[in-house]
Amino acid sequence: MGNSISKVMVKMFGYREMKILMLGLDNAGKTTILYKLKLNKIKTSAPTVGFNVETVSFRNVKFNMWDVGGQDRLRPLWRHYFPATTALIFVLDSQDTERLNEAKEELYSIISDKEMEDVVLLVLANKQDLKGAMSPQKISDFLELKDHLNNQLWCVIGSNALTGQGLVEGLSWITNNTNAKDKK
Amino acid sequence: MDDIISVGRSNGKNGVRMVYLSSKSPSVPNLNEAFYGDFRRRISPERPQSHLSPTPLAEEQTNASLIDLYGDDENGKDENEPDDAEQEDGRNSELPVSPTLSPSVTTPAQGSNEEAPKDFSQYDRYGFKKQNAHITQEQYHEWWDEYSRYCIRRKRKWQDLLAKSGLALSDNDIPDRFPPRSEKLKRYVRKGIPAEWRGQAWWQFARGQEKLNRNKGVYDKLLASLNDRNDKVFSRDLEVIERDLHRTFPENIHFQKQPNDNEEPLMIQSLRRVLLAFSDYNPKIGYCQSMNFLAGLLLLFLDEEKTFWMLVIITSRYLPGVHNINLEGVNIDQGVLMLCVKEYLPDFWQRIVTKEQSRNYEFLYKLPPITLCTASWFMSCFVGIVPIETTLRIWDCLFYEESHVLFKMSLSILKICDQEVAAARRVMRNRVTNKDDSDIEIFQAIQSVPKKLLDPQTIFERVIFKRRLSLNNLNQEEIDRCRRYVSSQRLKLKNYADIMGDKPITKDSTKRDISIGPDFVENALSSEVYGFRRSLTTAHWNNSIKEKVRQIRRK
Repeated sequence: MGNSISKVMVKMFGYREMKILMLGLDNAGKTTILYKLKLNKIKTSAPTVGFNVETVSFRNVKFNMWDVGGQDRLRPLWRHYFPATTALIFVLDSQDTERLNEAKEELYSIISDKEMEDVVLLVLANKQDLKGAMSPQKISDFLELKDHLNNQLWCVIGSNALTGQGLVEGLSWITNNTNAKDKK
Repeated sequence: MDDIISVGRSNGKNGVRMVYLSSKSPSVPNLNEAFYGDFRRRISPERPQSHLSPTPLAEEQTNASLIDLYGDDENGKDENEPDDAEQEDGRNSELPVSPTLSPSVTTPAQGSNEEAPKDFSQYDRYGFKKQNAHITQEQYHEWWDEYSRYCIRRKRKWQDLLAKSGLALSDNDIPDRFPPRSEKLKRYVRKGIPAEWRGQAWWQFARGQEKLNRNKGVYDKLLASLNDRNDKVFSRDLEVIERDLHRTFPENIHFQKQPNDNEEPLMIQSLRRVLLAFSDYNPKIGYCQSMNFLAGLLLLFLDEEKTFWMLVIITSRYLPGVHNINLEGVNIDQGVLMLCVKEYLPDFWQRIVTKEQSRNYEFLYKLPPITLCTASWFMSCFVGIVPIETTLRIWDCLFYEESHVLFKMSLSILKICDQEVAAARRVMRNRVTNKDDSDIEIFQAIQSVPKKLLDPQTIFERVIFKRRLSLNNLNQEEIDRCRRYVSSQRLKLKNYADIMGDKPITKDSTKRDISIGPDFVENALSSEVYGFRRSLTTAHWNNSIKEKVRQIRRK
C-alpha cells in the first residue's frame, strides 16, 4: 500500500526518493558536504570510520545520502552498499593534486562495478576555495570521463563545502538527470 | 609530501631524542598545568570558575566543607552497595558541588576564531566541548550537575577502598597501585574510575607495565629509526596519519593550536609519534583510521610511551585483527555481534535482515548493512560514538573485563535504537512500508542514539546493573568461543563463495555445478552452526539456575 501511495505521490507531485552514495578518498570533504547540505553548518569533521547517513530534501526529492569512510582499507566495508544507488557523488580534493591519480583509479574501480552500471555520476571538485585548487574543467579533462563512460551520465562541478558553493547545483543536476532513469 | 617528510627529517637522531624526552611527561597533568594553568590566569578572578578543569573533583575536594559532608558516608555500605548512589542522592542534594554556571556565559557564534580568547566554560574537564549537534549546553549542565556529584561520591568510595587495602596515594594524589582483582573491585570499576586516576588504573588493569618491562627501550628505538623508514607501505601510512592528525578531536582544547602559539600542539606531536611508531612496530596493522581516536584518548590520560603500549594491547588482546589491513577481525566481531543480536534482540534482528538471510548463516559472511555502523563502534572502542564520559566508563570496564564489554554495550545501544524505531513506528502508524525507508530509519537511529547517551547510566543500567538479564551471561569466554566459530565459518563461506560465485547457498546448489560434491555444500552449511546455537541456548537454560545459585550465595 505504501508503495502505491508513493507512486501516486510521484505522479501528482513528482515526489521522489533516491539513494545517493557519496564516495571519495579520505579527507576529500564528504562529511563536511553532507552536513553543510543537511544542517547548513560546518561541522568540524573527524575521519569517518563507519558512515553517516542523512536525508536531505530538495525540491520534491528526498535524498538519502550515504557518506562512507574514505581510507582505502575501509572500502571493503561498504562495497555491498552499491545496490539500488541512484546517484554517485564522487568527491575530490581539488588541491590535492598528488592524489588525483589515486582518486581517478578509485573512481574508475567503483564505476566499473556491475551494480553501478546505471548510476548517475556527479563529481564534486571540492575545496575550490583553496589556493592551487584545480579548476573543475581541468579535473574533468584529467578524469577523461568523456572517453571512458558509455552508460552513465556524468558531470563535474566545482564546490566549496564551507560556503556551500556548488552543492545545490550538484543536487539540481542529479534531480534533473534522474527523471528519465527513475525506474519506480 | 615534502612537508610530511620534513617533519620526520627535522628530527635528526638527537632531535628525535629531544623531542621525545620533552614529550614524555604525562600528558594530562602537565597539560592541565600548561593549558589550564594559563587559562586560569587569564580568567578574571571575579568570574566564578564556571568551567570544570580536568581534575575538578580533586580540586573540589580541597574544599574542606565538601570533604566533611562526604565524611558522613557509611563506609560499610559497600558490601551491598549496588544502590548506594541512589540512596545518597537525596541526602547530598544540597551539595554545591557543581559550580553554578554564571548566566553571563554565553555561547559565542559558530566557527570561533582561533585568535579570540576561548570561553573555557564551554569545555569539559578533558578539554572536550560540552555542546555539540546532539547535546545543548543546558542539557550538559543539567546532567553534569548530577553526575559530578556521583563522581565525587564514587571517588570517596575508591579512597576508602584503597585505604582499606593499605594502598597509599602518591604525592600527586594518584594511587601507585590498585587492589588486586576482586568482585568488589569489578563493581567499583563498573561504576566508574575517578577521572584523574584513570590512566594509572587502565595501565594496571591492562597489565601495561608487564608489557613495557618485556619491551624496555623498544619505543625509543622505534622513534629513533623512524627516519630510516622510507618504503612505500610506511610512507603511505605516514601520509594518512598526517592527514588525520588535525582531524583528531579538533574540538578538544588540547589538540588545538593555542592563540599566540606557533608551534604545533604537543598532543598532536605526541599523537604523530605514537601512530608512526605503531605503524612501524606492527606492519600487519600499520595505520587504520580510528587508531587516531584510540591513541588520542589514551594520550589524555597516559604518557606517550604508555599510550603506545596500550595501543599495542588494545589492538592485539582486546580487539585482535580488528585494525588489520584486511579488517578480518572487525568482520569477525560483527559476525559475533550479529549472532548476539539474533539471540538477545530477536525483534531487532527481524528489522535488519530478511527471513531468508536469517535462515542460513550466510549473514556471517555477507554481513548485514548495519555492521557498517557497528564496525566503527568496535574499531574506535566507542570514542566519538558516544559522549566522552560514557566512553570513559566503557573503557574502564574494557580494560578490566576485556572485550565482551564492547558487545554488551553494543547490544544495549541497539536495544535503545530498537525501542526508538518501534516508538516512531507507532506514531507513524506503519507509514514506513518500503525497505529503503525502514533501513534509513534504523540507520539514523543507530547513528544518532549513541550520540545522545550523555549519561553513562542509561546504558549501564540496561546491561550491567540489571540483574536477571540474559545478556549478563554473555561473558568473555562466550565471546571468544563465538569469535572462533565465526572465524572458521566465514572461512568456509568464503571458500564457498569463491567457487560458487554470489549464488545463495541452497541445498540444490550442487545441481548447478556437478564438479562440486555435496560434501562441499554440506560443509558450507556446516552443522557446527547448530552446535553454537546449542551452546547459547544452554547458557539461557542455565540462566535461572545461575540466578538461584547467586541468590543462595547472597544469603
